[in-house]
Amino acid sequence: MLSIKNLHASVEGKEILKGINLEIKAGEVHAIMGPNGSGKSTLSQVLAGNEAFEVTEGEITLNGENLLELETEERAREGIFLAFQYPVEIPGVSNLQFLRTSVNAMRQHKGQDEMNAAEFMKLAKEISKQVDLDPAFLKRGVNEGFSGGEKKRNEIMQALLLQPKLAILDETDSGLDIDALKVVSDGVNALRAEDRAILMVTHYQRLLNHIVPDYVHVLAGGKIIKSGGRELALELEERGYGWLGLKDEETADSSATSSAN
Amino acid sequence: MKPAPTLSTAFLYPAGQSLPEPLLALRKQRGTALVDMPLPTRKTENWKYSSKYLKLTDDMAISLPAEGKTGSSLAVPGYKVAFLNGVMMPEACEYPDLDGISIQSFSDLSDEEASDLADRLDSTLDNKAVQMARLNSARFEDGLLIRLKPDAVLDQPLFIVHEVTAEASGSAFPRIFVDAGRHSQITLVEEYISSGSAQVMVNTVTEFNVAEGANITSIRLNMEGENVQHIGSTGVLQQRSSRFESHTVGFGGPLRRHDLQVRLEGEGAECKLNGVVVTQGKQHYDNHTTIEHVAAHCNSEETYRNIAADQSHAVFNGRIHIHQDAQKSNADMNNKNLLLSNGAEIDTKPELEIYADDVKCAHGATIGQLDEISLFYLVSRGIGRREANVLLTMAFINELVEQIPVEAVRETVQGRLNHFFEQTFQEA
Repeated sequence: MLSIKNLHASVEGKEILKGINLEIKAGEVHAIMGPNGSGKSTLSQVLAGNEAFEVTEGEITLNGENLLELETEERAREGIFLAFQYPVEIPGVSNLQFLRTSVNAMRQHKGQDEMNAAEFMKLAKEISKQVDLDPAFLKRGVNEGFSGGEKKRNEIMQALLLQPKLAILDETDSGLDIDALKVVSDGVNALRAEDRAILMVTHYQRLLNHIVPDYVHVLAGGKIIKSGGRELALELEERGYGWLGLKDEETADSSATSSAN
Repeated sequence: MKPAPTLSTAFLYPAGQSLPEPLLALRKQRGTALVDMPLPTRKTENWKYSSKYLKLTDDMAISLPAEGKTGSSLAVPGYKVAFLNGVMMPEACEYPDLDGISIQSFSDLSDEEASDLADRLDSTLDNKAVQMARLNSARFEDGLLIRLKPDAVLDQPLFIVHEVTAEASGSAFPRIFVDAGRHSQITLVEEYISSGSAQVMVNTVTEFNVAEGANITSIRLNMEGENVQHIGSTGVLQQRSSRFESHTVGFGGPLRRHDLQVRLEGEGAECKLNGVVVTQGKQHYDNHTTIEHVAAHCNSEETYRNIAADQSHAVFNGRIHIHQDAQKSNADMNNKNLLLSNGAEIDTKPELEIYADDVKCAHGATIGQLDEISLFYLVSRGIGRREANVLLTMAFINELVEQIPVEAVRETVQGRLNHFFEQTFQEA
């Protein structure tokens, strides 16, 4: 489904990704792990089409189609979904308006009729229950005044609404308490399907106890330095990133801080 | 040095409409005072950013004839008063006989009523600060006098449509005086619209005399065409424990100017002033507000937002003057601005003058652009770039639009704004 070949990407002239190769097939769940600053979030942003990142070399295809030629909104309509590490607050635009505009943009792309307000409200209420969000949130501004956990649940709710081909979850477990982690994981597990792939980007392996990946990759210094099955994540937890010969500063546990990269 | 330009004598044109004698006398007196009146230039502090848009040619001096039909873009239930080129059109008005409330055109006043009114016109305005309002006082052809007896409550909003018909060049001078008795209540909507395409000027004055405990909501919609220069002045005089709430929504034009002056004269009076302005193309809009905290224990809250696209130019000047005896004043002024293009210009200037020592006074002004991260978030959900721009721009002013207390007006405004933003982002 997704094929990444020799991907290089820079931000503000600084190269972050230095030759990523990755193949993800439909139905698979992949986890990308790595220390802070390794390029995990950059990879997510590049896949979604953030123009702040410049692809300098390599290719990305989704079901054979060249993603790099598509704008962000076109990628989304082709089935790429990124659950943001830091979902954006947009006061003045209601969640309901945002979600309905998004769903209808996708439907229009597929040649389907737009959903009217009543139909959409019914659907949105159902799915908000699935991620344990009070439907009253639909009337509030996008992510406005949401707790960290509510924001992450809203991201998963959007994935459930939009039914993407490839869902990329960027540090979706960060900032979640154990109950919220369970809700979010159940949501992600509900997304698992034969015709869908999931790419999880995470610093810690605790999420992987709830969403069991088929493959685990370790990203460091802008490259995938090791790939394996689920056992690789467990080994990382036990032995730390240092075990892979990474420098101290790259392995520094920074659970208290977070990095956009 | 070039002498400062003065108002052309053509504008001293004698007004035509028959008015009661005391108002004719007032108009004449004000007209005499206009001889050699200097016009604002860029050296005139309160017109610094806007004088270049003021273009008064002699062919615009004549009063536009009050002939033809009027129409409002607000298809709403409520009481209606219609003015055409500053003259009341009785056949287009709809309001019942109301207990304790009188709604009259100036030309229908008895000499005694007119004499009383003549004494009070201009009393709410600082004429030095609103020099162009003087032209209205010299030229008004008619006007609307609304009087509320103590405790009178108007149960529905009163819609006042001021239409200017620009079939040929000329001017119109709409005038409103509201006399709100103690503990009376009224919501009124002033809507300014136009038809025709000749170059015209509309010069309006609206005055509110607000007695103790009265509660006034005023909504002002400026929706005239690209050929209309609009200079409006609103004066508000508030007595003890009265409340005045204002919502102004303005779409840009060749010249758009609104001066809003509020004088808090009685203790415990409060005002809330909201304003939204959008400009595109080469349009202009200038809001000048002044809040005079004269008495103690008064509150003022002011929020204005401007959005300027293309090569347009928006101006906000907010003055708060806290007098020496106005202890325990609470004033809060906020102005946020959104620039949608590199060619657009926004000038914002808070002016605070505080002579009392025990007051709370906060102000803030920002100028920014659409947030790239918010935009990325929206498009990453499949929303088109143009639609995302419209959503974000709308979001910037929604907070204020949603506070407009009359639903029909809110919907009209939202529709107009949506249309405006669709146009603005057409190319994007």
